[in-house]
Amino acid sequence: MPGLTTALSIATQSLMVQQEALQVATNNIANANTPGYSREVLDLQENPPVQQSSLWFGTGVSANKVESIRDQMLELRIYDETQQQGNAQAQSTALQQVEGLFSDPTQGIGADLTAFFNSINQLSTDPTSIPVRQSILTAANNLANDFHSTVTQVDAIQHNQDLSVTQSVSQINQLTTQIAALNGQIAPLQQLGQEAGGLEDQRNELIGQLSQLTNVQVTQSDQGETLSTGNGTPLVVGTQSFALTTATGAGGMQHIFAQGTDITGTLTGGQLGGVLAVRDQSIPDVLSDLDGLAGGLAANFNAAQKKGFDLGGNQGQDFFAPAAPGAGAAAAFQVLATDPNAIAASSDGSPGSNGNLANLLAVANQKLPSGATPIDDYSNLVFNVGNWSSQAQAQATATQASLQQLNNQRASVSGVSIDEETTNLLRYQNAYQAAARVISTIDTLTQDLFNITTSTG
Amino acid sequence: MRVTNLTQNVLAAIWQAQDNEQTALEQLSSGKRVNRPSDDPAAAAEDVLNLSQQAQVDQYTQSTNSLNGLFQTADSALGSAINALNQAVSLGTQGANGTLSTANRQALAASIQGALDQVVQLANTSYQGSYIFGGTAVTSAPFSVVAGVVTYTTANGNAGINQATIADGLSIQTNVPGSQLFMQPGSNVIGSLEQLIAAVQSGDSTATSNATTAVSSALNYLSTQRVFYGNAMNQVSDEQTTLSQESTNLKSQENTLVGVDMAQAATQLTQAQTDDQAVLAAAAKVLPMTLLNYLPPG
Repeated sequence: MPGLTTALSIATQSLMVQQEALQVATNNIANANTPGYSREVLDLQENPPVQQSSLWFGTGVSANKVESIRDQMLELRIYDETQQQGNAQAQSTALQQVEGLFSDPTQGIGADLTAFFNSINQLSTDPTSIPVRQSILTAANNLANDFHSTVTQVDAIQHNQDLSVTQSVSQINQLTTQIAALNGQIAPLQQLGQEAGGLEDQRNELIGQLSQLTNVQVTQSDQGETLSTGNGTPLVVGTQSFALTTATGAGGMQHIFAQGTDITGTLTGGQLGGVLAVRDQSIPDVLSDLDGLAGGLAANFNAAQKKGFDLGGNQGQDFFAPAAPGAGAAAAFQVLATDPNAIAASSDGSPGSNGNLANLLAVANQKLPSGATPIDDYSNLVFNVGNWSSQAQAQATATQASLQQLNNQRASVSGVSIDEETTNLLRYQNAYQAAARVISTIDTLTQDLFNITTSTG
Repeated sequence: MRVTNLTQNVLAAIWQAQDNEQTALEQLSSGKRVNRPSDDPAAAAEDVLNLSQQAQVDQYTQSTNSLNGLFQTADSALGSAINALNQAVSLGTQGANGTLSTANRQALAASIQGALDQVVQLANTSYQGSYIFGGTAVTSAPFSVVAGVVTYTTANGNAGINQATIADGLSIQTNVPGSQLFMQPGSNVIGSLEQLIAAVQSGDSTATSNATTAVSSALNYLSTQRVFYGNAMNQVSDEQTTLSQESTNLKSQENTLVGVDMAQAATQLTQAQTDDQAVLAAAAKVLPMTLLNYLPPG
């Protein structure tokens, strides 16, 4: 029955609810800059009215639940875009290091090749000149040194990628363990129909970090979320996480295993996928190009050497160390000749003949097994390295923009607005003050009632 | 729309503006539009070939300079030999006069011997340490006097010919072997001089006259052979003009490929700076603003 007591009880409840609302607003403000935090709102509900004769009276307010505001589909889109961004960024970073080795066209293998053949051309005007012959040896050694230093540096980049594989895998394992633990806390709450709020925020944030590393598929089950890699290898099922392991595999590189199966080739997304793509595809391509160039050049030049005679009239010998074609030819590229006399310029055995220089020079235009001449082969390599890097950079920029867009959307749905919370503070403060005033008013009314009772008694 | 992450957007805008600034600055300071292969992969690859061609053209130019020196030396040696032969012809014509005394004939013969010695010396001309008329045997003098007779032995000189490449697909012959120049059967420069000396010494007017005719015909032959070097010098000189033109073309092509339009880059830098300042100014105004700025304290 409506009366002072009912009004007092409504006001008291209101005081409590406004306090709770203030607490939610305070928590939102406190977490305004917390990564992954979704703003919370207190779900207020009007109490069921009571009927008094023919009238219905309201009975105040109660707080239903604290609800986190998030769009789960948007979160999934962000995971996907994050893994693409991580992938492109990892490739772009590594490939920019690789292209740095080929960025100055006035130095390096290309310039050395030209200088080498030019020094041979110079010898054609004076075949017996020792200084010119010496300059051919110098040019050949420069070429060998640049082959070596390029291969060494490409190897070093590949090695760094390999190190980062191990690091990524250990980060992934750490994240999946944490996610499985959170699943264990969230699932019971959800089964009771309760909001897991902050815990879900944490889990989403961790899945976001995991997406940065590799592509993750998220499926919901009654045990919580199930996470698997792009090709379906389970990472987290309910409260169980499955650790990935690494072991040294073919070529001395780290391979990734899930429960004993090598899944290295199937990991294509995220930072790990990007690192693996550079380590296992781009860099081996560069090295194999260099090997083809070095091996083919050495073989062709040696063959041309043997068609002529050196300054002493002897048949030409191998000028470069004969390399087995295939892997390692660039690293093994070496100038065997140490004596300037060894250059087989002569075609008739007399020292002044330059007849075989035409054969040596022809090597510059002779096609390598790749189907291109040495300088064309190198130019193609520069194009490939630049093109890969350019594509990865463009991809990184595009995914970054799209991720920024998605994050804006997420922020629009789930982000904390200081202005909004300030407004809420004012609203709830006003309501609190009003409820307090109601209580003091009822107090006065009650006092009045007591006074009446006292004076009549 | 609820906007709650203004800072991230503002930061992204600042980074974008500064990235543009950095690119414009790099292009201005290097003078190049392509500073790494990924800036324009096709142009970077083309640039590798362009620079290789430029270096090759420089090398061809250097080769033509060396060859020019060689050809001039050879040409001037042959010119002097022709003068010596002219002198021998006029001495031979005097020797054919039957009224000369023995002493005069000996004197004439000695003068002709002098001309022969000079021709042999010229035939042994060297350029930068190599004997230029020894065929491809250039390390020792090709002509030597063996038992009073000038010989061209295969041990010292041969009939070998060298070629040098002075442009893509263009090789030129760089020497004429001494045997062909000075001992060609039928137009034997040295043989006819030796014959003339013997004839003058013997006092046989007819033989002297015949020998003088032979020297004269050898002289004509040598003049014809000398044309080779004249032509070669012309060819080298023509090629130098072509190479110089090619070098200019390649440099201009390189500039088109990887060079930057300075005016445009400077404009871009100014634009990027303006953008950067505008973004920073906007950020300074927008970021500190919340409702709290307008609420009374407390």
